[in-house]
Amino acid sequence: MSERMAIVGLGYADIRSCTPGISYKELMYEAATRAYDDAGINPRKQVDSFISVSEDFWEGTSIFDEYVPDQLGAALRPVHTVCGDGLQALSCAAMLIETGQAQIVAVEGHSKHSDMCTPHHIHQLAFDPIYHRPLGAHPQHLAGLEMARFLHESENTREHCGLVVQKNRRNALKNPRSVYGSDLSLQDILDAEPTFTPMGVLDAAQPADGAFVVVVAAERRAKALSTHPVWIRGYGWCTETPAVDSRSWGEAAYARLAAHQAYRMAKITAPARELDFAEVDDSFSYKELQHLEALDICPQGAAGAWLQAGITQTGGEFPVNVSGGSLGVGYFLEASGLMRLTEAVLQLRGQAGAVQLPAVRRGLVQSWRNLPTTTGCVVILERADGRE
Amino acid sequence: MLSKLTTSAQTRQWPGHIPVEYVYTAGIAGEAFLRALKDRGMLLTSQCPQCQTVYLPARLYCEQCFEETKQYEEIAPKGWVHTYTVAHVDIDGEALAVPQIYAFIRFGGTNGGLIHRLGQTQPHQVSIGMEVEALLLPGKERTGSINDITCFQPTK
Ligand SMILES: [Zn+2]
Repeated sequence: MSERMAIVGLGYADIRSCTPGISYKELMYEAATRAYDDAGINPRKQVDSFISVSEDFWEGTSIFDEYVPDQLGAALRPVHTVCGDGLQALSCAAMLIETGQAQIVAVEGHSKHSDMCTPHHIHQLAFDPIYHRPLGAHPQHLAGLEMARFLHESENTREHCGLVVQKNRRNALKNPRSVYGSDLSLQDILDAEPTFTPMGVLDAAQPADGAFVVVVAAERRAKALSTHPVWIRGYGWCTETPAVDSRSWGEAAYARLAAHQAYRMAKITAPARELDFAEVDDSFSYKELQHLEALDICPQGAAGAWLQAGITQTGGEFPVNVSGGSLGVGYFLEASGLMRLTEAVLQLRGQAGAVQLPAVRRGLVQSWRNLPTTTGCVVILERADGRE
Repeated sequence: MLSKLTTSAQTRQWPGHIPVEYVYTAGIAGEAFLRALKDRGMLLTSQCPQCQTVYLPARLYCEQCFEETKQYEEIAPKGWVHTYTVAHVDIDGEALAVPQIYAFIRFGGTNGGLIHRLGQTQPHQVSIGMEVEALLLPGKERTGSINDITCFQPTK
């Protein structure tokens, strides 16, 4: 990376299963206020560019990007919307800084999932209108198909997927920034109501509301602003194909290729050795296992065995989703990547509270844009005193 | 914010409805695919002249080489189950009275496939690799839709 940059501000608000008392604008305003306060900046004077992530159909408003400036302090300023996951917006912020176009950039993502009365019907509009959508199925049938093929091709088992749910929901019990913490037995999970076999109702992350804002600054500004900057060492993103007929069914190629890009930038060759922890997409239980293998953190087919051996548990050698992940914290639509990023930044600052890991220096954050997409993004973060 | 609502009785909501209507054009390759299905009960493929990938459904261009595909060919709708799931829930989140099986089906001599319903079978009888064929609507009832295939069923 030509220009070094760091996350210097963090704000989140209203992480709950529903938020009837507050509008999406107020939700964003609250998170943004906290992030600017955390960074010690005045957004009206010191933020050079603003980026938000959203999808018109999730918001219920066409051309939604026009509705974001005022609540972010971005009126009459450079602002744009990325129709993608929050980590894709973070990558855009990094590029604005690398090109010298901006010194300080704010990135925002939010979920007002509880405002949707027919979320599955809205979600189904993301499916191919000619070959796929006319079947009229619930969107998660695609996760059932993918999970079945993943388990067929790999050494991982249905029980391993259940252990992911157990681990992440237990982790979330300790995390006050979460909605779905609970202590479940493996049998509770395997016996839960089947939805799209081999998936049961507990294998899918449940939606949550909330807003997340991060402030990114170029090195010179970052050092002046923050005593605990978290450096962005690498980032990458990739989309495989929208078509179900030509995608790779058993593996997450998008995550593998996004990781290659981020690892190359961060000069990482042995991820499990050079990284201390990861917050990866677990929108469905099997996705955590599939993603860990695609990210080359564990060998192909070994993610379940790693979990069973305790390696990816909180006390293990390579903790994964200590926050609780989406299974424990919640699924935040396009803000999901920023939820994971927030948790990783808090870890590297030593501010993660009851879920704090000891002595972590470098971590990985990975997102997936959920069904039916094949888009993923990877970011590598490093603690201030971890610099060369 | 100095004060917030503290009881849900204070909240105000505006119900909204988005009447989304659209026509989706199938395109050159898509139209040919749907016509082959409607008129002859066949599946149309197209092949990339550069990498030899055979697309099903037929496409105008290759996503690997960015080349126009050639060699359109029709194949019989017979394939095998690449993966399957038993759906117990409908799109409204309600329990289905009768679970519905969905499968991704691959077809010999192609690199593609289709997601569709599996019928004339029971969940415990289905397995990955199982051979299936399309159960088509009678010719005069077909409209040029993926639903001209009622479902795939075990090959007789
Ligand atoms: Zn080709």
